[in-house]
Amino acid sequence: MTTNAARDAATADGTWQAGRTGGTSVSLQGLSRSFGTTRALDGLSLEIAPGEFVALLGPSGCGKTTALRIVAGFESADTGLVLVDGKDISSVSAARRDMGMVFQSYSLFPNMNALDNVAFGLRMRKQGSAQRRTRAGELLDMVGLAEQAQQYPHQLSGGQQQRVALARALAIEPRVLLLDEPLSALDAKVRLQLREQIRTLQRRLGITTLFVTHDQEEALSMADRVGVMRQGKLEQIAAPDVLYDDPATVFVAEFVGVMNRIPAELQASANPRTVAVLGGTVPVKDQEPPENQSKSAIGGDGPVDVLVRPEGLTMQAVENGNGIVTHRTFLGSVTRVRVMLSGDVAVQIDKPSSEAAAVAPGTSVSVTLPPEPVLIAPRRPVTP
Amino acid sequence: MATVAGVEAGTQTPAPAARPAGRRRSFPVWRWAILLIAGAYFLIPLYAGLRFAGLKAFGDIFKQSGFYPAIGLSLRLAVITTIITLVLMVPTTVYVHLRLPQIRRSMEGITILPIVIPPIVLIIGVLKVAPGFLLGTPYLLALVYVILAMPFAYRSLDAGLRAFDLKTMVEASNSLGAGWPTTLWRVVLPNIRTAMLSATVLTVALVLGEFTMASLALYVTFPVWIVQFEQNSGPVSVAASLLALFVTWILLMLIVTVGSRGARKRGSARVDLITVAAPAESSQTMGEPE
Repeated sequence: MTTNAARDAATADGTWQAGRTGGTSVSLQGLSRSFGTTRALDGLSLEIAPGEFVALLGPSGCGKTTALRIVAGFESADTGLVLVDGKDISSVSAARRDMGMVFQSYSLFPNMNALDNVAFGLRMRKQGSAQRRTRAGELLDMVGLAEQAQQYPHQLSGGQQQRVALARALAIEPRVLLLDEPLSALDAKVRLQLREQIRTLQRRLGITTLFVTHDQEEALSMADRVGVMRQGKLEQIAAPDVLYDDPATVFVAEFVGVMNRIPAELQASANPRTVAVLGGTVPVKDQEPPENQSKSAIGGDGPVDVLVRPEGLTMQAVENGNGIVTHRTFLGSVTRVRVMLSGDVAVQIDKPSSEAAAVAPGTSVSVTLPPEPVLIAPRRPVTP
Repeated sequence: MATVAGVEAGTQTPAPAARPAGRRRSFPVWRWAILLIAGAYFLIPLYAGLRFAGLKAFGDIFKQSGFYPAIGLSLRLAVITTIITLVLMVPTTVYVHLRLPQIRRSMEGITILPIVIPPIVLIIGVLKVAPGFLLGTPYLLALVYVILAMPFAYRSLDAGLRAFDLKTMVEASNSLGAGWPTTLWRVVLPNIRTAMLSATVLTVALVLGEFTMASLALYVTFPVWIVQFEQNSGPVSVAASLLALFVTWILLMLIVTVGSRGARKRGSARVDLITVAAPAESSQTMGEPE
């Protein structure tokens, strides 16, 4: 019904303004899936609101692709449910799920030109030839490829192919858009453009989207919420800034963004708890005990690591400081400075590039931690 | 002259660097020599046959008794065999690629069996299991030929399916709302056209040239007719063989040309007479194994 409404809205003024009201909600409930002895999914639950763009982020083999394929209907879950608008779709075949999918590898049908590729789904929906050609033309126009309509996939660049694939997935006015690492085969510049294009279109069409990627920059820059997965489970799902600033687990903290580990001593008796680090004392952030680590490991006094972002450390050039600058990496407006602290601990510190010019490699610096609450993790043995 | 020779000698003396170039220059000579030897090996018998038969014999072929029934039977068998082969092998190969990739190796082994099993064993086996209505008709041979064509057909189709990302194409088609029959018809088949043409070419060539099985089963196919007829007239028999060779060759070229034209338009692989070479593993490997 919503699809029809959207179609009417789209054809009425001939453009693809957001005609979709409401959109579709998706709910994954306790999905588990094993391949042989490997547990790809281990009780994954996830709610996607109508029109929301959710990214699943995780290292290779964490189960994110399996989750997406179960939603698409290419795999089935051993246990658990997939609800779309509150209805269980487990028994619905992939062909009848109305989900638009863009694949990681180029998936255009080589025997059809761009227009016919986009029109394929409409043809399956028994639309008349003239009507579907017009619609396919509009969609190609929407992804900026109207001129390439008659070209075959092998005549298109990788980025163009993925844009046609996106148009093809959107042509059927899917209830849900599934993106399986659609950018990972493209080169950096094209990837960046397409990233923005996908995001813009998704907003405009208000289409519920599930996006799977191992590229955190992609996930953080595109999604409304990012779910970090590990070993078939969701570690944390939150808005990108929350994920970055307030990671729920050590895994998330270290997987998302750059994180320094600095050895420290926990003073558990203080209230709130504090750690002694870098010659000072800072409070410990009120963190949930990480699921995967025993609570006792981090409960009492003793050695821990403080986790801190490169921009969370301050540094000043002094004589006989606690560290020595070893490298500088220019990143544009900021420069990432690598400092070797006593005890062979290397940390990275971001400095505005204008200030970083003063700290050439070899400079003695004093590295300090502002007295803000920090995240701690069990001490990791130093690997030689 | 002398200067030129001197210059040449001069450029060749600072040797090591110049050597690979020299070798490269001499390589085409070898290529031509091999081509000539191979060409002579194949063409001299043909020429000898042509000399022996004389041009008149070619005209006589069509007047000989039994010619039309024999060639007719062979052509009908070629068509039937090709149809059965494709109908059996295409879905099987697609299924193996999609659902049972782990048995691809053993499939290769199984399909090679007809080559190593003696013809007499094959034909007795087919006689044992053939449905009753086929016994006593020459169309029984088609069953045998399907088995004989299997190694070639399977290899062609296997190579064709490996040349594109079958799994992703099928999933894309499914997700766009196409069921299985539509996916097979509109997505899979058009993309293995080339491979199907190769399989067809090989099957047709095999059927038109097969002698052992037909003669064991006592049916007069075209090759059997040629051998039988040799007793009546040597020259006409030889002319018929040559004609068969040319006609088959023209037929194959026709199929290849037609197939390549369609394929070129779509940028897919050229149709080769034998598509046995494994194409590079395509983007299938890109997906992460989860």
